[in-house]
Amino acid sequence: MRRPAFLAIFTIAGLTVAVAALGKAALAGDSPDPLAQATPPPALESIPVSNETCLGCHGVPGLVLPLENGENLVLYVSPQEFADSIHGQRGYACMQCHTTVGDYPHPSFSAADVRDASLQLYQACRRCHASQYAQTQDSVHAAAMQTGNRNAAICTDCHTAHATRQLTDPATHQLLSESRSWIPQTCAQCHSAIYEKYLTSVHGAALQAEGNLDVPTCIDCHGVHNIEDPTTAAFRLNSPMICAGCHTNPEIMDKYGISTQVLETYVADFHGTTVILFEKQHPEAETNKPVCYDCHGVHDIKRPDDPEKGLQVRSNLLARCQVCHPDATANFPDAWLSHYIPSPQKAPLVYTVNLFYKIFIPGVLGSMAILVALDAGSALRRRFRARRAAPELLTMEAEDAQTTPAAGDLPGDEAVASSDEASSQEETGFEPPVPPSADQGEPAEPYEPPAEAGPGEEIRPAQEAEPPQAPDSPANDQPEEGAPHG
Amino acid sequence: MDQAQRPQGRSYQGVVRTERTFARFTLGQRWEHLAVMVTFTVLLLTGLPQKYFASWGHDILATPQSILLVRRIHHIAAIGLILEVIYHLGRALYLLARRRLSGDIFPNWQDVRDAWQMARYLLYLTHKKPAYSKYNFEQKFTYWFLFFAIGVMIFSGLILWFPYWWTHLLPGGIIPAAQLAHSSEAIAAVLFILIWHIYHVHLERVNLSIFTGHLNEADMRRYHGLEYQRLTGVAAGEEAAPGLGSAGEPPLQGEESL
Repeated sequence: MRRPAFLAIFTIAGLTVAVAALGKAALAGDSPDPLAQATPPPALESIPVSNETCLGCHGVPGLVLPLENGENLVLYVSPQEFADSIHGQRGYACMQCHTTVGDYPHPSFSAADVRDASLQLYQACRRCHASQYAQTQDSVHAAAMQTGNRNAAICTDCHTAHATRQLTDPATHQLLSESRSWIPQTCAQCHSAIYEKYLTSVHGAALQAEGNLDVPTCIDCHGVHNIEDPTTAAFRLNSPMICAGCHTNPEIMDKYGISTQVLETYVADFHGTTVILFEKQHPEAETNKPVCYDCHGVHDIKRPDDPEKGLQVRSNLLARCQVCHPDATANFPDAWLSHYIPSPQKAPLVYTVNLFYKIFIPGVLGSMAILVALDAGSALRRRFRARRAAPELLTMEAEDAQTTPAAGDLPGDEAVASSDEASSQEETGFEPPVPPSADQGEPAEPYEPPAEAGPGEEIRPAQEAEPPQAPDSPANDQPEEGAPHG
Repeated sequence: MDQAQRPQGRSYQGVVRTERTFARFTLGQRWEHLAVMVTFTVLLLTGLPQKYFASWGHDILATPQSILLVRRIHHIAAIGLILEVIYHLGRALYLLARRRLSGDIFPNWQDVRDAWQMARYLLYLTHKKPAYSKYNFEQKFTYWFLFFAIGVMIFSGLILWFPYWWTHLLPGGIIPAAQLAHSSEAIAAVLFILIWHIYHVHLERVNLSIFTGHLNEADMRRYHGLEYQRLTGVAAGEEAAPGLGSAGEPPLQGEESL
C-alpha cells in the first residue's frame, strides 16, 4: 500500500526537477532541442572546421571558462589523449559532437557549474550511441538523476569525454581483456568502498593479482548500461541465477576444481526451493530465505577455506547460520549439506534414508500392489465364473466353505487363540467358549454342504439371499424371495 | 455392547432369519480409529502441498500467510495424532501391566504361513484359502505398517518442528534426513492406504466393522473362520444351528430364541 504512494511522490518530485531543468535550459537558450539531439551527427565531409583548428586554442593547457558559480570549466583537451582515444583513432571531428561551435566567436555557453556543463554536453553521445543511451535511461543511475542526484553517473563519467577507450573487440563485440581490469577502477570513482571490498574478495584479488579473466567484474553481475537497482526484492530473487551463470559452467569451474552442482544443490534444499519459486511466480515478493550472497558475501566473497570468512570453516558457517537462526547450536550447520549431493561420504544419514525409501517404496508397496491386483483378479474371476454358472451358485459357496476346515491342519492356531483368551475378553467383551475337543478330529477333506440347505442361503440375511434357481428358470415367476417379509 | 451377538430379526421356519453379529472392536478402539483417520487425513491434506510446493502445492500455498496457516493446521493435527498415539500406547502398557493385553494383533509364524498359502491360492496353486483368526495377516500388516509409519512421521516431524532442540543432542545431519524421511514415509503411507487398506475394507468387501464395532456371522465365518470357531465352538463351514455346539459350551447370549 505504501509503495505506490512513495512511487508517486518520487515521480512527482522527479518530474518537478525535470521540468525545472528543462525550463532553465530553455531560459539559457543555448541548449539544442532534445529531438534535434537524437539526430545523427553531421557527416565528416561537411565539417568546415578541422580538429587542428580547434586544438589550436583548446590544445593549450590553461584555457578555462568561468561559470556562473565561479568554477572554471577546463576547455583544454590533450591532443595526445584525444588522438589515442577511439574517436581520435577513427578520425572523428570535434564538431561532430560539439555541433554548435563552428563559428568564431563561439555562441555563448553558460552553465551553473562544472557538473551542469557536463550534463548539458553529454547529450551529444546520444546521437551515435542511441541504444546505449536508451539503456542507461532504465538504469539505477538515471533513476537517481531523476530524483535529483546530479552526481549520478552519465556517459562521460565512465567513458570520459575525450579519452574514450576501445573496450570491446570490434569483430566479436566481446570485452577486450584489458577492459576487464579497467571496469572496477571506473566504478570505483564513485563506489570506492565497494571497490575496496571487491579487491579483498576471491574474484577481485584474482583480477588484480593475476589479471584473471574468468572472474567477474562489476558489470558481469550488475550489467553495463541498464544497471539494475540491486536493493530490490526482484534483484535478490534473481541473484542466484547471476552466480549460476559462471558457477554452473564447467568450462570455467573445472579449471579451478569448483563444483558446478552448487545451484542444483541449493535449489534442492528448502532455502533454494523457496527462492526459485518466488523468483518465478512472485518476483517482487520479499523473502527471508537466503540467496547465494547472504552466506557467501556480496562483494567480499571469500574462498571456502578462508580462515576469516570461508564457510568450510565450521565456526564461520555457524556464525552465518546464526544470522537468521539465532538459536542454532554447534551441530545445526550440518543440517545444510554444503552443496554436496548426499553420498556415503558426504551426508551419509541422508544418503541412507534416501536409499532405504528407494528400496522400500517400490519393494514393499510394489509387492503389496501385486498381491492386491492378484486378489482383485481372483475375485473378479470367481464372480465371472459364478455368473456363468448361476444355476450352480451353491458350488461357489461350497468352494468358499472348503477353506474353513483347512484350519484343522494348523494345530498351532488354536493354542495361540486360547492363550489369548483372557486378554481377548477384555477387548471383545465376549466370553469365549471352551474350544470343542471335536475340532482336532475334524476331517481335512473339503466340507460338503448339505444339498438341501446351502451355506450361502444360511449365512445371508433372508431378504438378500439369491434364489437357488437360475434367473431364467420357470421358477422365477414366483413372488420375490423377499416377499414373505412384506 | 459387551454382547457378542445382536439379534436383528426372528427366524421362522427358515424364512425369517436371525442375523448374529460378533463384537470385533470396542467403542474405544472405534474412536481411536476415527481419531487416526481424521488426523491422518488432515495431516496429508496440509502436508502434501508442502511436499509438492514446487509444483502444484504452490497453487494452494501461494502466499507466506497461507503457508503459515497450513503449517499451523498441520501442527494442530499432529498434536492430535500424538495424543492418540500416547493414549494407544498407554492403554497397551496398562493392559500389559494387568496381563490383559490381547495378543491378537501381534504377528506370528501363522501369519507367514497364511500369507504363503494366500499367495499360492492367488496363483492358482491351491484351492484352499487360509482360515483366519481374529485378525488376518493383511489386517495385522495394516496395523503394524501404520504403527511404524506413524512412528517415523512423529519422530521426524518433531525433529523438523524443533530443529534447534534436537541438534543439541544429535548431529545436524538428522534435519535433512528427517525431512527426507518425513516426506518419503508420507508417500509410503498414502500409497499404503490407497493400495492396501482401501482395497481390503472397501473393494474386496465392504468391511465397516471398525465403525460399527461388529461383524455379521456370514463375514465371521467366511473371513475369520478360526475366530468364529473359537467363539461359537462351531466350525465355520458347519450349519450353526442353535444347540449344535459341543456339550459344555455356554449358551450364546442373544441367541435367537423362538
